[in-house]
Amino acid sequence: MGEELKRILGISIPLIIICVISGAALTASYDLTKGKIEMVEQERTNESLSIIFPGANFTEMNGYYIATVSGEEIGYAFIATGKGYGGTIKTMVGMYKNGTISRIHVVSQSETPGLGTMIAEPDFTSQFSGKPVEDVRLKQDGGVIDAITGATISSRAITDTVRERAEVVMNET
Amino acid sequence: MKLDELTKGVFKQNPIFYLMLGLCPVLAVSTRVDNALGMGLCVFFVLVGSNVIISLFKHWIPSQVRIPCFIVVIASFVTLVDLIMHGYAPELHERLGIYLPLIVVNCIILGRAEAFASRKSVFHSFLDGVGMSIGFTLGIVGIAICRETLSTGKIAIFDCTIVPTFTQSPSVMMTLPPGAFLTIAVIMAMIKYKDIRKEGR
Repeated sequence: MGEELKRILGISIPLIIICVISGAALTASYDLTKGKIEMVEQERTNESLSIIFPGANFTEMNGYYIATVSGEEIGYAFIATGKGYGGTIKTMVGMYKNGTISRIHVVSQSETPGLGTMIAEPDFTSQFSGKPVEDVRLKQDGGVIDAITGATISSRAITDTVRERAEVVMNET
Repeated sequence: MKLDELTKGVFKQNPIFYLMLGLCPVLAVSTRVDNALGMGLCVFFVLVGSNVIISLFKHWIPSQVRIPCFIVVIASFVTLVDLIMHGYAPELHERLGIYLPLIVVNCIILGRAEAFASRKSVFHSFLDGVGMSIGFTLGIVGIAICRETLSTGKIAIFDCTIVPTFTQSPSVMMTLPPGAFLTIAVIMAMIKYKDIRKEGR
């Protein structure tokens, strides 16, 4: 019994030590990079806000931003998150008060490089500008958005998440 | 002799074309040259780091649990790269996306830990890591150059155009997975042809 215990400990203790050291090293590096990563993410949010409503001021309200230009409310900005082909797609959406999309901007995605990633290119995203929310569907689904060849799933994912989130925000405001 | 440990990874035992290990990121990320370079850099860091650490502790790692130990070390390095890149190279981090954490299961890294670092000295393991990752980077960038050129119809690295658009109908297929398989197959065939000629068969 003692022999057996010794053998098991001899195997498991080195593994435990390695795991503990790795864990400690990762905790330290997480702490060191955390501030920087938050800064980068915040910057990215601010940047995408200023892309979809240039020159506007933003006030955060439960889950979305109200865009004001010289004191007057012009629209809402919000993040639409949905599942794409390769992972989560996060899109910043700007919507005017009358329910047309001003602009969309992809904040983060992990689609197929070189193919699904084209949903983030202006060629695709500019199609959303000026479209009423209910028309934001792919052409084959009865809407006005052209899907990217070879990336229909990604195109449909972003289009549907933008419309669904926009409808929710419309009902809330 | 020591130089041999370095150069074998680049030529005689190139991880992509001879060992044929770690092909998953090669197929996936070689759509653009800058993505491929970024992936090469990450693999460089992880492979050299894990090779050195595993070689350092090779006498303390019980052989029954060596694979879990290797994976913990490799996963730690990958997470480290992931965190650093997220903070300091957010654009590249975003483009590499899921393939960055997937370096953990890249068999070239576990393969080198198992076949080399756990047997050889620290310095040799370091050289092996450097050589292997240079070989990997050269391979993936080479494939990316072929694919990007054929799929965009122009040669551009980091947005500066070297050869302007030479065709109006580039082949979109080269960005798709079949393009990666075709490119690797053609390059591999050329290398094999050359090797067979050399042997005089």
